[in-house]
Amino acid sequence: MVERIEDLNLPNAVIGRLIKEALPESASVSKEARAAIARAASVFAIFVTSSSTALAHKQNHKTITAKDILQTLTELDFESFVPSLTQDLEVYRKMVKDKKESKASKKDSSTTENANAIATAAAEVAAE
Amino acid sequence: MASEDLFEHEFSEEQDLELQQAMETEAEELGETEEPLDITEEAPESPEAEAPAEPIADRPVTNGNKAPSDHEAKMTQLPLARIRNIMKLDPDLHMANNEAVFIVAKAVELFIASLSRESYSYTAQSKKKTIQKRDVEMAISAVDSLMFLDGAMNF
Repeated sequence: MVERIEDLNLPNAVIGRLIKEALPESASVSKEARAAIARAASVFAIFVTSSSTALAHKQNHKTITAKDILQTLTELDFESFVPSLTQDLEVYRKMVKDKKESKASKKDSSTTENANAIATAAAEVAAE
Repeated sequence: MASEDLFEHEFSEEQDLELQQAMETEAEELGETEEPLDITEEAPESPEAEAPAEPIADRPVTNGNKAPSDHEAKMTQLPLARIRNIMKLDPDLHMANNEAVFIVAKAVELFIASLSRESYSYTAQSKKKTIQKRDVEMAISAVDSLMFLDGAMNF
């Protein structure tokens, strides 16, 4: 839950870095311009979210998925983002999958005893 | 607003327990490398600590969530928790899965890059090197797809 309004701002340092990475090395950005871009970025996130929500509602599903976001971006004239995002999504999925697998195998080899103990405890709880 | 209901169960767990787990897991890892004997002491401890909040059977799942968040941190420069908070501002949002938050974060990064480049073209036009606020404003009013920012920028 958001407790302070600052929790909704994107971190300045990261915004600054992202801006610099996009520009030629000689370029720089004033504080006010950085703040404006940061605000635009937050508004963009809200805009994309609410458009995706509307899209998901229209299609009668409740959970917003990556596919909804990509479709929304196309509709909002940001289709140039889609190829790169599709690639990122593949990498992300692979990472999550690999992580799960390596976690599972690690558990098997190194902490079999722990796993057994937990399984036993879980079984006991289930029985109760 | 019932924020817990907005996102999938798995998701809010990650947020709620992130810090706690980071500490626990670190402790466990330290234990494994330095004093293997500690493992047997820690193992019964952790389920007890989490048991009141959720079923013990969930523990491996919640533990597993800590690791993907590490990877996500490397894959996006923007913090996903912050992006999620911004997304939650939408009162119509029921749920968004992890992938959706990730894609929004990545899209925002691309958005920042393209708005910066667009703004810089006006900076360069006036033979300057430093982007000023008016360059950003000019970029916003010139590009059709940035119409949504009209009126959202001055407060």
